[in-house]
Amino acid sequence: MSNVIVNRVKEFLNRFPPFHFLDEKILMSVAKAVEIRYFGAGEYLFQKGDPAQDFFFVLREGSIHLIEQEANEGKIVEVCDEGDVFGVLALLGKRPYILNALVKEDSLVYAIPVAIFEKVLQENSRVSLYFAAGFASGQVVVRRDLSQGQKARSELKEGSKDNGLLIFTGQSDMNFSKDVLCVFQGTSIGDAAKAMAEKGVGSVVITDDSRFPVGIITDKDLRNRVVAKGLSNDVKVEAVMTTPVITKRKDAGFAHLYLTMIKNRLHHLIFTEDGTEQSPVTGILSDHDILLSQGNSPAVLINALMNTWEVSEMAKVRDRAELLLKYYLENEVAMDFVANIISEINDIIIQRAVQLAKQKHDSEHPEAAKIKFCFLSLGSEGREEQLLRTDLDNAIVYEDVPAEKEAAVRKYLLLIAEEVIEILLACGFQACPADMMANNPEWCQSLSQWKWYFSDWILSPNQKALMHATIFFDFRPVFGHRSLSDAMTEHIYQEISGKSVFLNFLAKNALLNPAPLGFFKNFIVEKSGEHRDKFDIKLRAMMPLTDMGRLLVLSHRVVGINNTFKRFEKIAELEPNHRELMLEAGKAYEILMRMRAIEGLRSGNSGRYIQPEALGKLQRQLLKNAFAPIDELQQVMRVRFQLDYFNS
Amino acid sequence: MMGWLDFLFRKKIAKTAFVKAYEALFAKNIPDQRPISQLSFTVLDTETTGLDVKKDYIVSFGAVKVKGYRLQLNQSKEVYLNTPIQKADALKVHEILYPIEISPLRDFAEDFLKYVSNDIIVGHHIGFDLGMLEKLLKQYGLRSLLNPVIDTQALAMRLEKGPHYDPRMGKRGEFALDALCERYGIALDDRHTAAGDAFLTAQLLMKLLKLAEQKGIRTYGALV
Repeated sequence: MSNVIVNRVKEFLNRFPPFHFLDEKILMSVAKAVEIRYFGAGEYLFQKGDPAQDFFFVLREGSIHLIEQEANEGKIVEVCDEGDVFGVLALLGKRPYILNALVKEDSLVYAIPVAIFEKVLQENSRVSLYFAAGFASGQVVVRRDLSQGQKARSELKEGSKDNGLLIFTGQSDMNFSKDVLCVFQGTSIGDAAKAMAEKGVGSVVITDDSRFPVGIITDKDLRNRVVAKGLSNDVKVEAVMTTPVITKRKDAGFAHLYLTMIKNRLHHLIFTEDGTEQSPVTGILSDHDILLSQGNSPAVLINALMNTWEVSEMAKVRDRAELLLKYYLENEVAMDFVANIISEINDIIIQRAVQLAKQKHDSEHPEAAKIKFCFLSLGSEGREEQLLRTDLDNAIVYEDVPAEKEAAVRKYLLLIAEEVIEILLACGFQACPADMMANNPEWCQSLSQWKWYFSDWILSPNQKALMHATIFFDFRPVFGHRSLSDAMTEHIYQEISGKSVFLNFLAKNALLNPAPLGFFKNFIVEKSGEHRDKFDIKLRAMMPLTDMGRLLVLSHRVVGINNTFKRFEKIAELEPNHRELMLEAGKAYEILMRMRAIEGLRSGNSGRYIQPEALGKLQRQLLKNAFAPIDELQQVMRVRFQLDYFNS
Repeated sequence: MMGWLDFLFRKKIAKTAFVKAYEALFAKNIPDQRPISQLSFTVLDTETTGLDVKKDYIVSFGAVKVKGYRLQLNQSKEVYLNTPIQKADALKVHEILYPIEISPLRDFAEDFLKYVSNDIIVGHHIGFDLGMLEKLLKQYGLRSLLNPVIDTQALAMRLEKGPHYDPRMGKRGEFALDALCERYGIALDDRHTAAGDAFLTAQLLMKLLKLAEQKGIRTYGALV
């Protein structure tokens, strides 16, 4: 056999999943068994109903369409391109083919004998997971389980990084005291406390004669067990110490140490020479040390935000939050958690910004400053989905005031809004190009005016106006009087009831961009301009989902759920017959959010435009799978809102 | 050494058993109406110490089999030969860097004739390779190779320019393997190994055969 040729085939396979999970030796044995086949355009590799061949296929070069044949019509289910794996039913179920594989362009195909791969499948869990997750082409007929996809993605990730608690810092950054305050058994509490005071530490370790640790007393123990109980200072330390103590070696690994402390609710962990209690004390790790070493944990960031009024400091914290985000994304931390944390941080920045603005301007406008108002986030921030500091979309609603006071109030609030926007820009957020911001007089309005706006959008909808207005339906109070925003919500639902034409308009908007199903060769990329040949993940994939999520919660009159993926979860509850589809749509959205954010962090922009070729095969497949529910959901919407009969 | 042998046995070289077995395969011709998809091809290439059939020798040999637009990797072949003169220059050009097992000439001759059987032999600029192979096989009693032959260069010219094309009219290198691979979208990874070039040529052959079928050349008779 020719090594040169086998190596060439092996190297090709090695570029694509699931083959790149195989080790050199196994991949070599797979490559040796490959049969190369050449097909001319118009031929079929297999057709629906054909018995399974003893091979499955990898497209080496060319283009093959997998087509679902129904009666006389063929629907393209998938467009395979280089490296795509297909025809795997033969591998998995030995069932006849359910799709037609039509050769669109002359194609070179690597046929891989099922016999050789069955063994691989049994032995390599990552490879079997790849197939279980439906990553191979043409597996779409069974609805894709995106959660499998997510699971697969995290497990199939290149090089397993530490998924532990080592959130941002290396272990080397972990600080602990090597100089531990110790007293012998038999010491009085008074003396122990005195020693603590002298050393300025919050704890003391009690040792036996061999200097082996037997217990610990902390500031809190002195408060709770001594002073509050009225014990005398002469009582021996043994009487109040916590014992036995949990000990570890200091090089046990940060994640392990941290987990030990969390599990045992420890504030202090004692290091000994060999890690047991029967060994001298070498150090002590406190939860405070842990907090410090986790410089970017959410708690630390939020704490830092709460402790500063310096805009430059806030900006720094927000930058650090980006590192946190990056870590979360890379480690597949659950999206609702990630979105919550980042939204919380964004909210605090906005709240601090409003407070700063008030501090600066209230004294000059004592009368107007009494106005009740609410600062609202709109759009993605309103939906608690803004991971990156993309466009600011916000507004102000204030209580209705007598006409004679209106001018002064508006002047004051616009001043506040201007200040807030400036602070947010300084913190790295981007201005909204459409100027949908609170400092725009149009979007700094009284409750009555806002009600009028919404009534207008709902009662006399117009396609173009609605396209821009949809983000207003995702408002969320961030600072100020919630009752004002509650009143807006209430008003919207009153207006909507019975006005189905408005929902029709929303639905029409939601279907403006069809799901990009024919993905690769027919990938809908931008045709011109700066983003030529890139895929607009926001416009083509995320917006259809946010639009449909919004439409559905509005049609069900659900209040208070703004997250697109949470909206779909809620709708899954409300529409049991579409439960699966809704859950899939929610997961698809999470996947898209994650991808966009990763792309944004990688290229230092909004992440909106993705270069299809730059994505790894697995990413492309995951993305492709995420499109399926969009398409299905759009079809459901089309029927439900009778869009085929509805013309605006 | 071979020149010396030639001189001694020029008149009469006894046919070895494997040569006889090979020649026996050609008692019957391939029927003209046999469709292309039923034909067996051996696509081969050799790397040599130089370009002079008289003076130079085969260093390595690579081949694959194609039948019905299928190519099985476990039937591919790659052989490094025990040549009388190992020209450092040639080795440099072809960069044979694999740890290689050198086959004695006689073993190669026997294996080769068994492998190629009565297939249609295919190669790019195949005349040169055939000349080198025949020179090697002569010492075992083979007068000439009996297989039908397809030169992918000639086939490409015929398909692209028509049967009466005069290659002297074209651009230089227009039908070289590199140029053709590029034109037909075949990835050129590591050229200059016999097996690598045979593999490329096989892919080119499959593309050319499809093209031939589209142009109405569908049988052995029409093809050769």
